[in-house]
Amino acid sequence: MKRYFKYLLPAGVFFLLLWGGMVVCRADPLGLLKGIPRGIELIGHMVPPAWGKIPDLLRPALETVQVAFVGTCLGAFLSFIIGLIAARNMHSVPILRDVARSLLSAERALPDLIVMLFFVAIVGLGAFPGVMALMASSIGMLGKLFADAIEEIDPKPIEALEAIGATKIQVIQYGVLPQVLPAMVAHTLYRFEVNIRMSILLGVVGAGGIGFNLVTSIRLMRYQEAMAIILIILILVTFSEKISDLLRKIMIGKEVLR
Amino acid sequence: MKFCTDNNGYKRWSLRTILPMGFFFFLLGWSLIDLNISPKLFWEGIPHFFKLTEEMFPPNWEVLWRGKILWSILETLAMAFVGTFLGAMGAFLFALLAARNVSPSKMVREIAKRLLAAERSIPPLIYILLLVVVIGLGPFAGMIVIALGTIGMLGKLFAEAMETIDPKPLDSLESVGATKLQVIRYAILPQVIPSLIANTLYRFDINLRVALFLGVVGGGGIGVDLQMAMSLFRYADALAITVVTLVVIWMAERISDYFRRKVIGQELLQ
Repeated sequence: MKRYFKYLLPAGVFFLLLWGGMVVCRADPLGLLKGIPRGIELIGHMVPPAWGKIPDLLRPALETVQVAFVGTCLGAFLSFIIGLIAARNMHSVPILRDVARSLLSAERALPDLIVMLFFVAIVGLGAFPGVMALMASSIGMLGKLFADAIEEIDPKPIEALEAIGATKIQVIQYGVLPQVLPAMVAHTLYRFEVNIRMSILLGVVGAGGIGFNLVTSIRLMRYQEAMAIILIILILVTFSEKISDLLRKIMIGKEVLR
Repeated sequence: MKFCTDNNGYKRWSLRTILPMGFFFFLLGWSLIDLNISPKLFWEGIPHFFKLTEEMFPPNWEVLWRGKILWSILETLAMAFVGTFLGAMGAFLFALLAARNVSPSKMVREIAKRLLAAERSIPPLIYILLLVVVIGLGPFAGMIVIALGTIGMLGKLFAEAMETIDPKPLDSLESVGATKLQVIRYAILPQVIPSLIANTLYRFDINLRVALFLGVVGGGGIGVDLQMAMSLFRYADALAITVVTLVVIWMAERISDYFRRKVIGQELLQ
């Protein structure tokens, strides 16, 4: 028993914190038990899903996908430029590099909700703030991953290109891009999956899309419509994962260089 | 570009590369037009941005002492903390059922894996909206949603960690007739504990952000205060809340970082 003594204090503190957290959250296991019949009743209200509403929902669903797609593409494009600036082996101005690196890590530290709320405040409601918010929140992660990918490339092709007097853009096009493209595509596809989910959430803070329909239908207690929306959301999420998996396999499978 | 290198004998700009690229740019252009996104919107946003910053400064720190803002932040922290660790415990039990080398039977293993995968693919937004209907608004609902989301992700990671352990201690314990519980305690736990704790702490960082979001949809905590301040155009309040929230999140992440470093590279419970 003696060997457990030194864990007594940390474990005690930990469980005290856990208990305190539960008190703060007004945790109520009995309430949860009482909620079970209500949950079953809710499910009863939700089936059958309102199939008739689905044609009206396709438009917001499409908007959700479009916002995620455009936001990811623009974000990936900007991330590549920032990644080039931030990569150590690209000989950019050292001050610029440090600025880019710290901007990226500051952006990553910023919760997406705050980014979204600020963009909604700046450009108003609609798809545009959604695209901007997804773009901005993609840059933090993708910019860092791209910069890391660029730093890890084989320097020989670049030295060779520089030695024969290639311009900066030619070096990037023929020396850097072929080496980092598979990694970049893989990261971007992964980010697209994240952004589809975020794009659904965006509807809640007022940037349009299917998330908005879900929130309103539940607030108005139209549970059958909500069920139809939930099904659409699940299909969107699953399909985006499958498509991104497929593309990743195609792209990385045929690695032409090296 | 990777698509147009010709060292495999393909033409530089063959149909194989132009077709997908063209399709991609067609999709992008069509989406941009369909969503009415133009550079004009961007230029128009810039004056708004300056107006917004003007209205935000100076941040209204007084709001922190009014209306339970600090309590709301504590709620968000508590939600993330309790949700993460309850979720991690659930995930551990699920992982025992889902890991190839510990699972009691193939059937159980399949079911546990499927449940975890299904659980992962449901966005937290759906859970919270339904839970709020069932048990009412508040941080308790948020806590449960976080725990559920944590089970899906950590359950998978824990199961993978268990599958990659060294099988020798497991075999020898089983051969001397140890009970299932003893096998778990003496063969599995010592090997996986560092990775379990590191993953749980990492998940805590993610859950802090989720908790912030859940507030907006009725899960309690600071998210809803922030959104209210924004939608009521009280930008000076919003900035003060944002700054304090960021500082708290940053500190929580430093603490989780500290424990992660302590745990990795050191074998606990040996």
